[in-house]
Amino acid sequence: MTPEVIVVGGGLHGLSAALHIARRGKRVLVLEKDRVAAHASSYSAGGVRTLGRHMAEVPLAVESLALWHRIGDLVGDDCDFHATGHVKVAESAAELAELEARATAMRAAGWTHEEVVDRAGLRRLLPAVADHAVGGLVARDNGFARPYQTAQAFRRAAEAAGAEIREGAAVLGLDRRDALWEVRCADGSTHRAPVLVNTAGAWGARLARSVGEEIPLGFNAFMMIYTSALPAFVTPVVGLTGRPMSFKQAPTGHVMIGGGHKGVADLDSGRVQLDVERLAFSARTALDVFPILREARLVHAWAGIEGVLPDEIPVIGLSRTQPGLVHAFGFCGHGFELGPIMGGIVAQLALDGATNWPIAAFAPDRFATAAAPGGALLQPAG
Amino acid sequence: MSIVIIGTGPAGRAAASVLPQAVVIARPDATAWHAEPGLVWVEDAAGIRAVPFARLLLAADEPLLLLALDCAFADGRPVVGPSGETSQAGIFAAGVVLGATTAEEAARQGAIAARVLAGLPPEGAIATPPPRPLPEVARLDPLAVAQLLESPPGTERSAAALAQAGLRGGRLTSVVAPARNAGFAALAALAPAVLTPRGAQPDAERL
Repeated sequence: MTPEVIVVGGGLHGLSAALHIARRGKRVLVLEKDRVAAHASSYSAGGVRTLGRHMAEVPLAVESLALWHRIGDLVGDDCDFHATGHVKVAESAAELAELEARATAMRAAGWTHEEVVDRAGLRRLLPAVADHAVGGLVARDNGFARPYQTAQAFRRAAEAAGAEIREGAAVLGLDRRDALWEVRCADGSTHRAPVLVNTAGAWGARLARSVGEEIPLGFNAFMMIYTSALPAFVTPVVGLTGRPMSFKQAPTGHVMIGGGHKGVADLDSGRVQLDVERLAFSARTALDVFPILREARLVHAWAGIEGVLPDEIPVIGLSRTQPGLVHAFGFCGHGFELGPIMGGIVAQLALDGATNWPIAAFAPDRFATAAAPGGALLQPAG
Repeated sequence: MSIVIIGTGPAGRAAASVLPQAVVIARPDATAWHAEPGLVWVEDAAGIRAVPFARLLLAADEPLLLLALDCAFADGRPVVGPSGETSQAGIFAAGVVLGATTAEEAARQGAIAARVLAGLPPEGAIATPPPRPLPEVARLDPLAVAQLLESPPGTERSAAALAQAGLRGGRLTSVVAPARNAGFAALAALAPAVLTPRGAQPDAERL
């Protein structure tokens, strides 16, 4: 196949881009250095969340959430999506005031999906929450899905639409010659196309840097825990206002706890090391909020590597230095929910050179100037 | 130099007799549930603690501890040299984890590894371990891995977990998983009062 678009990175965003590009009738090749969804796309918490987002992300997240509610229409699989709602818990009066201010700011901007609940309202949503919790902020139509199942669904849909996916094809180098990108891979293959999409996640800045575009991307290994199965005690996904935590109970009864504590990763090898002390901190936070966890056992802990940017929102847009290059990476641990819509936006950028979605805040060259405040609440990873 | 032996079966006992100064960790009194370079994480009646080591001998059938330490595996067994040293310097294995089928063979392996750990000339050699049959598996996501790890420890669980690791380039997930369950409250009790934030790791490399 002679591709019209090459996508570098076979995570959720790369697969979504390939799906949308292929459905527009274009030949698209995905180059994945490892296996599809090898890192954050399989190992996130699977949060489908509009709650507490940076203001620049809100329009995209709201539209993407609508896609999640009919995800089967998009990819032919329900991705195990559950619309359980999300709750951000306030552990003090000051935190509740912060949530009320956020809700007011959202309403002023025309968004009505975040709703403050008082102590009694919180307990109707979270009967097992600790006594000290004083209220919360709720997005009732949020939920969670299963990341690996989701990535595989996007893969199948993209391939059914004609996309080719090549695994084990780490990009070693690229050049632009005669209006074509020439991409050389570790498996010995070379590919050419007029348009290149960079959805390389934590490795995205390496690709950009190689063609002269400096983007200050770092990376994190966000750790997650699963406890042993417990009787059902919480339905919504729970976050905290003042501490990093994301908390949910799967239909199996297992409780996933994540939200931001990090292990240590090696970007070259893809290896990650747990940090037990930080896992312990996550465990203590979860116990503070849900004392019922006293009897639980830790059965699994893991982490995926995620690209992060200084202002905690991704890079989405056309390269400012190279023609025919689209960037969409650095989702800072909360890109899963945006997966369905990002493919459409990237397809527009790749095929039309522009998008009708508001993405100016995500410009690749924004780091030369001071970031605008985004009004996000503490955002749990995943 | 601190030496830690995990297990008090024939291999562990034989090793301990050569290495009387070694710290021995064994069930049911203490469970080694996770390991990282230089540390074995142990749960006992007092809670969870880290046991430091400079050199380690795994003499129990807990292959996930070796996965956690990034030791190479082949055919379901850790790759070891004639003294039982794994692909990670200073980390040894002996006995049932290497497929020893008799107490005598396990003890022989434990003694060989222990002599080398003690700085003594080796007496004998450990042969390449026989393959551990692994099931044909499809890749599982973290929830399904959690369900697998929640099942009773033993040969079947280890084989299923090793098969999963084989699909991931030798890791059970993108990161090592705990080898055994651990008490959640005991883990929480380990948390420091204040945690120094860990910022993003920087990267300035090119393709």
